Amino acid sequence: MAGSALRRLMAEYKQLTINPPEGIIAGPINEENFFEWEALITGPEGTCFEGGIFPAKLVFPPDYPLSPPKMQFICEMFHPNIYSDGRVCISILHAPGDDPMGYESSAERWSPVQSVEKILLSVVSMLAEPNDESGANVDAAKMWREDRDQFNKIAERLVRKTLGLPPP
Amino acid sequence: MPVTLVDRLPLPNLKVYTAGSVSLLSIAVYYALSVTSDPNWRSNATLGRQDAMEPAGEERALPAPALGASRNVSEQFVDVLTFMMQEPLCMWTLINIAYCSLAVFGFGVQRLVFGQLRVAEAQRVKDKFWNYVFYKFIFVFGVINVQYMDEVLLWCSWFTLVGFLHLLGQLCKDRYEYLSSSPNTGGWAHVRLACLLGGILAAATALLGAAAAWGLPAGRDTFAFMAAECILVLVAVLHVAARYVLQLYEADVAGPAAYYTHLVFDSVSLVVELLHVLHMVVYSNMLVSMASLVLLMQLRHLLHELQARVRRHRLYTELATHMSRNYPMASKEEVEKNQDNCAICWEPMKEARKLPCSHLFHNSCLCQWVQQDASCPTCRRALAAAGAARPHSDAAARHPNHLFHFDGSRYVSWLPSFSVEVTRVRPEAALAGAQLDAAAAQLQLMFPQYSRHALASDLARTRSADLTLDNILEGRLPERPDMIVPEPINPSVIAPEPTPAPVPSSPALVVPSTPAPVVPSSPVPVLSSSPAPVMPSSPAPETSSSPAPIAASSPAPVAASSPAPVLVDVATVTATSAGPFASAPSGSWSPRGLYELDDSPGVRFSGTAEEREQALARRKEALLSAARRRYLDRVARVAPPPTHVSPAPQAPPH
Repeated sequence: MAGSALRRLMAEYKQLTINPPEGIIAGPINEENFFEWEALITGPEGTCFEGGIFPAKLVFPPDYPLSPPKMQFICEMFHPNIYSDGRVCISILHAPGDDPMGYESSAERWSPVQSVEKILLSVVSMLAEPNDESGANVDAAKMWREDRDQFNKIAERLVRKTLGLPPP
Repeated sequence: MPVTLVDRLPLPNLKVYTAGSVSLLSIAVYYALSVTSDPNWRSNATLGRQDAMEPAGEERALPAPALGASRNVSEQFVDVLTFMMQEPLCMWTLINIAYCSLAVFGFGVQRLVFGQLRVAEAQRVKDKFWNYVFYKFIFVFGVINVQYMDEVLLWCSWFTLVGFLHLLGQLCKDRYEYLSSSPNTGGWAHVRLACLLGGILAAATALLGAAAAWGLPAGRDTFAFMAAECILVLVAVLHVAARYVLQLYEADVAGPAAYYTHLVFDSVSLVVELLHVLHMVVYSNMLVSMASLVLLMQLRHLLHELQARVRRHRLYTELATHMSRNYPMASKEEVEKNQDNCAICWEPMKEARKLPCSHLFHNSCLCQWVQQDASCPTCRRALAAAGAARPHSDAAARHPNHLFHFDGSRYVSWLPSFSVEVTRVRPEAALAGAQLDAAAAQLQLMFPQYSRHALASDLARTRSADLTLDNILEGRLPERPDMIVPEPINPSVIAPEPTPAPVPSSPALVVPSTPAPVVPSSPVPVLSSSPAPVMPSSPAPETSSSPAPIAASSPAPVAASSPAPVLVDVATVTATSAGPFASAPSGSWSPRGLYELDDSPGVRFSGTAEEREQALARRKEALLSAARRRYLDRVARVAPPPTHVSPAPQAPPH
């Protein structure tokens, strides 16, 4: 079980290294544990997260790719679909069995043809285009709807923080 | 659960414990020496406490004074030992030192075979240890109900040995899983582990022999209790060994051989444990007591687990027969024609199973996936599952996807959790007759480039509008060649936020339907500053229900991606960027080339782990510094737009 998971992860790692999507880097920090990766995601152009480099942790289950990995940002985040502890709430990361929100059809959830690259691209899309209906962070969802300026201000602060720049 | 209660007990570490035990022992030995140096110690001692002293001791005590000081070392040793066995305090010291040496031995084995334990392993061993202690305590004082100290001691030492093997077996299992999942482990680690497995196996067999030798005379019950424990250890260790053998023969991880091996071991260990607990309940014969309450809880949990295993097995066999009957293996030509690897494991296919949606997968990969979710991994088309033959109850109709979830951690923290879902296609949902025509007409409104006939025939085949829609979106449906140019589409259909940017009315234009999402109030047309708008504003649920503009402008097949409500469908972006901005790169979601990175695609993928780790760290550093530079440039060059907060005062435009 775990052997095939490992081979697949290795293949994905290789592909992500040789042909990386723009602004995305991912791989195991320490290959002693190939089931824990760190990813860097560049905030998408033209959005309030533009230019930020957001680090996230990916933890793969032993039966990957049958089950989805877990993803958690390890920097401070403020986004309607990211819990305050950094966990990402997107349907592609939900296993077909569990449905925490109770509204996703299984077609939107994890399937073994998904990959790390697709997850990360989805997360980039999510950064640009929050879904304020499934609010993992209700405060952020509310602010996104009602006070966009304030939201952008916070995002700007986070971007500067991830780049190691002092707040404006 | 007991685990959480005792977990917080402060335990001294091994060094302190060993030091304490050794000093206690030396005190006891010194005391024994000083007492036994008196040649008449036996008579003194017997006068004091040992009224039940054996006659042999009395006889031997008589010639002792005659020998006087000429006693040799071995005799003295025997004397000391005898004395210590009789003196209660010394006796406890001896028992303590026995436990201590076992702990040191275990620690040595751990250091030798496993090295530093990983956190997860240590945690699991700890959990298992406390669980074991808890249940054995219940057993000794609740079930056997021992009255005498000697009996308690005997049972304790027995369970210590068995528990020690249990823990080592658990460690072996964890470590084996870790080793087989780690890419770069030396052969030595495996050899050491295999040796330890052999050692445990031998020890467990010896214990089983001991149980037969000492347990049988004490009664059949005692023997059954003792043997059950040994058998459990043996089964667990043999399971790990069998996995080694399977791996050695490179057996297919999901093939029938491996599956049935696991099945046999799992069920044997469950059944033995079940019988063991049942035996205890019957033996204790006290249905209303704390002990039997705990035992019954454990029994219930074991039954559940066994049930789940049987259910999983039934599902597996049903699926296996169902798949082999309904989805034939792909022919040789089909496999050869299909250049892609298996989408599940990403490895090349020599033979493959073909689903009705003509997607190919490895048989074993597909088997494993279908146990979780009965649908095609690529297109999510539901496979008519094995459960279709079962009677259709109301509940089943309302929840067509049956979900079984087992949460092991609710019982014991080291148990796994899993869920099994069966998806069924309900026949009444299928389209037919007039419904089919209506659906075809509707689809043709959305996709004018397809002929009504083609749509109707595809609908007749898929019997579901959704599946046909998928086929269209993924380009599997042949379209009418004369109508590739899509019709203009009213952007307001899918644009939730009206964009202030002027909407050009070119017929082939789809892009205006994607306003700049973040800054809708910005007077500057953002589209011009960032070609290929990265974020088409697709309101979550509508995207999937109104996919017309996507497909209209992109007849090309698009990589299958399950549209999630939270996500922008990758296809959307591809399609829109291929529209008016011919210069914008298509095919990838993001505007490649908009920013230059130091690490361009084509980075070497090194063969060694160390180099890969270093390269990864370098690339991260490069990405971060490039992003920082770019950010500062942007802040310096462009006066930040009003909606973009934080005007950076320290950066005047050059």
